[in-house]
Amino acid sequence: MSKIALEGVTKEFADGTVAVNSLSLDIGDGELMVLVGPSGCGKTTVLRMVAGLEEVTDGTISIDGEVVNDLDPRHRDIAMVFQSYALYPHLSVYDNMAFSLKYRRAPKDEIRRRVSEAARILELEPYLQRKPRQLSGGQRQRVAMGRAIVRQPRAFLMDEPLSNLDAKLRVQMRAEILKIQQALNVTTVYVTHDQTEAMTLGDRVAVVYQGDLQQVGTPRELYRRPANRFVAGFIGSPAMNFIMAKLVQDPQGSRHEAVFGSHRLALRERTFDDYPPLAQYLGRDVVLGIRPEDLEDASLVAEPDPEAVIELTVELCEDLGSEVDVHCSGDLQQDVSALEEDAPESVAGEPSQRPKVGELVARVNRRTSLREGDTARIRVDLDELHFFDPQTGETIGR
Amino acid sequence: MTLESTARRPAVTGARGRRLAGRITLFAVMIVVAVVMLYPFYYMLDNAFRSGNQFTLGAGHSFASWSQLFHDLPVARELLNSTLVCGVAIVIILAVSTTAGFSFAKLRFGGSGVIFLLVVAAMMVPLQAIIIPEYVNLARLGLVNNYFGAILVYAALGTPFATFLMATHYRGISDELIEAAIIDGLGYARTFLRIALPLSIPAMATVAVLQFIQIWDDLLVGLLFLQNPQQRTITVGLAALAAGRTTSIPALLAGSFLSALPAMIVYLIFQRHLIKGLTLGMGK
Repeated sequence: MSKIALEGVTKEFADGTVAVNSLSLDIGDGELMVLVGPSGCGKTTVLRMVAGLEEVTDGTISIDGEVVNDLDPRHRDIAMVFQSYALYPHLSVYDNMAFSLKYRRAPKDEIRRRVSEAARILELEPYLQRKPRQLSGGQRQRVAMGRAIVRQPRAFLMDEPLSNLDAKLRVQMRAEILKIQQALNVTTVYVTHDQTEAMTLGDRVAVVYQGDLQQVGTPRELYRRPANRFVAGFIGSPAMNFIMAKLVQDPQGSRHEAVFGSHRLALRERTFDDYPPLAQYLGRDVVLGIRPEDLEDASLVAEPDPEAVIELTVELCEDLGSEVDVHCSGDLQQDVSALEEDAPESVAGEPSQRPKVGELVARVNRRTSLREGDTARIRVDLDELHFFDPQTGETIGR
Repeated sequence: MTLESTARRPAVTGARGRRLAGRITLFAVMIVVAVVMLYPFYYMLDNAFRSGNQFTLGAGHSFASWSQLFHDLPVARELLNSTLVCGVAIVIILAVSTTAGFSFAKLRFGGSGVIFLLVVAAMMVPLQAIIIPEYVNLARLGLVNNYFGAILVYAALGTPFATFLMATHYRGISDELIEAAIIDGLGYARTFLRIALPLSIPAMATVAVLQFIQIWDDLLVGLLFLQNPQQRTITVGLAALAAGRTTSIPALLAGSFLSALPAMIVYLIFQRHLIKGLTLGMGK
């Protein structure tokens, strides 16, 4: 176990591209930290710098308080699991797992004991004499994990280790990785572009975008209290809906409303208590964020608050079995820039997460009778609204 | 529907006919090329087993040419010389091309692109263009009539193409595999020896076979650098035999057959490796 600390870490490539920009992050003993972000955001570069495979342009990386910037990868005592697994094709499963111990001159009995133990944990015992090409994708992935485990390193670094597996196996292996990491309690840095993987695996999740750290926190914190529009849009599937709205106060000053198009949503007074800076935005535009799961078919809600209901036209229903994603259009002035830049990429095997311009996605109860072309009455959960500054994209009131 | 099928039939037959005609033409051309290539070989084999008279008459077979060949030439010695020169040159070529190929493919160093281009450019220089300066240089170093001189020239001539082939092969090995070995505790040198080299055996076999055929069959370098009868390779020996005042054609053909045999055997054994190695990096 060990702590990893990144302080102001920057990586600038020879062509001037800044892949990572002054990133600071502390990873605690035995913690599983997930770095998540869209492709090309710099997360793999961070991992490679921790591994020693890329030089650090500026800043420091320390493991257990020791600055390792100039330390060779082999002297950092870390193990890495690669996206392609990087198994040595000419060696058996046993030799792949024993490889690093052999070159560290561990006693033969010790090597045998550790490999057997790892093979038992990973259920690889029947395959120890096979070559990697004779294994399935899931088995290869487990061998890659085994190779890391036998090392008993200070930290595991995992670079999208599940992305070559099919959707079903990915879910299964995700649970296995989590179990192994918890059992061994080894500090782990895990890189993925899949927000579901990040949310389910991470003790904490660091969201990276264009080389900048956007937010670090527990999955729940990222979901409930996103620091900015990017995090709000990236975490959660389908992605959060963003609508340009104006915050207004009625002439009597008794209530506040968010107005967009012909729709008006009455805001709870405690919203202003919870987010005091929101008062400064009265009379101004804000980006209103509503998660699809905070929208419901009003006909399925007992006595819905009429001031929390908006009427929209159903464009498309995606029946997922357990719930239905209803794509609605209406008099919405959406924050198009948020949709274009920040919405996460569609993940293979899942319906498109990216709401179209002029559309709002609601994830409603499977008992809904809404169909394409219907006029839907959608109930908005007013306790779960998010507000963002239209200029900076930062969450208002954090 | 019926009308359509009826209308289509002649078109289909026409296409089939054209395809058949194309195939027949192709086979005819291939047969002609095969005959042109194989006839000299047949001629050599047929006449290698004739005496001088039988050769003149064009009838009958015997081993007379073979006994004359072994009488006139120290065949065993020359075959041994060829093997020695070939073997050592190939070892040098493999040692240089694998390390250089790995460096070009997997290590980052300044000017690697330019140096690689220079290596590739060296492939384009014909032997005849540099043979005189080579001779002068080696003569100054006292390496003429010395195995090592010929070996050096063969190695220098074979290394650029071998390096190109090995670099292409190593580029096909994923960077992650090399990085995994580095993280597992190996330096670049041991990663090369333990990971890259075992994975490049097919490519090395290709290099070895190609170079063997080329060096074994070469005459010019041997003729210039190995003039001493004790050091002659088999091709140089045959050339000396051909240059004699009373050349026996059947003995010469027997020698040629003997000289061609090892290269042919090596090619036939390794042809699959050879094709695989030469198509490296082509397609998926």
